[in-house]
Amino acid sequence: MSLEKIGEHDVQLASSHLVQAPLIVIDGECDHGGAGALRAAVEEALSADTRVVLIDLEKCTYIDSGGISVLLGAARTLRDRGWLGVLAPNDNVRRLFEIVGLTVDTSFRVFDHREDASRALEDLGR
Amino acid sequence: MMSPTGAGPEPGSPAGRCLRFSVQAQTARLAEIRRFVEEVGGEFGLDAERVFDLKVAVSEACANAAEHSGGSHVPLQLCARFHPDRLDFEITDGGGFRVPQVERRPRTDSRGLGLPLMVALMDEVRIRKTPGGGTNVTLSLLVSG
Repeated sequence: MSLEKIGEHDVQLASSHLVQAPLIVIDGECDHGGAGALRAAVEEALSADTRVVLIDLEKCTYIDSGGISVLLGAARTLRDRGWLGVLAPNDNVRRLFEIVGLTVDTSFRVFDHREDASRALEDLGR
Repeated sequence: MMSPTGAGPEPGSPAGRCLRFSVQAQTARLAEIRRFVEEVGGEFGLDAERVFDLKVAVSEACANAAEHSGGSHVPLQLCARFHPDRLDFEITDGGGFRVPQVERRPRTDSRGLGLPLMVALMDEVRIRKTPGGGTNVTLSLLVSG
């Protein structure tokens, strides 16, 4: 697991795996300033030709269009082969996903618990 | 660019009072701007959900100014005005006037979400050209009831 403190921004990213799917944990506030590091982490995860990428938002206290645009881009990239899963977003973050239309995107899935994501990945057969 | 009501705080009177914050238009400063918004929300008595909404809307307006200023570090003036029935949060920059981009077609970088978010989260959004040719975005929350 790698942990990266991003410059002066109040966000930390950690990368690991859940049932072989890349998992990125966002801890803190993911704004326009921190979006570049998230974009790099997501692009690295996508480059592994994986069908699913997971982003743990349980400790993400804030997100704006800087971070949301990275998630939208990832969901679009995965559309033909799988989906982007987000774990445990708080109510405010979830509301933003609804506003921008992410929650009606078939390649974007929200899981309340990590176990639910594990089950979905096992159903996917990998 | 100041409207006649912008003469400054009126001590002892919450209504009509205003809080100001000046900052460079850089995405690296957005966290500081959010701390200011939290202070404003606390003073105005907003609940946590509305403070979150205001943080996102203000960040989008400021990020838009930062994006268009390039590396020139345009100064941003933030001003929160307290009225009995509403909170007006103004973001004024001295850069060239521009209306925030709206997403036209889905693109890979998904830019242009800022203005739709501002409009969805706020009760009113006004974008005006200042006499000096800069941009003024006013985000308003109305007090219900």
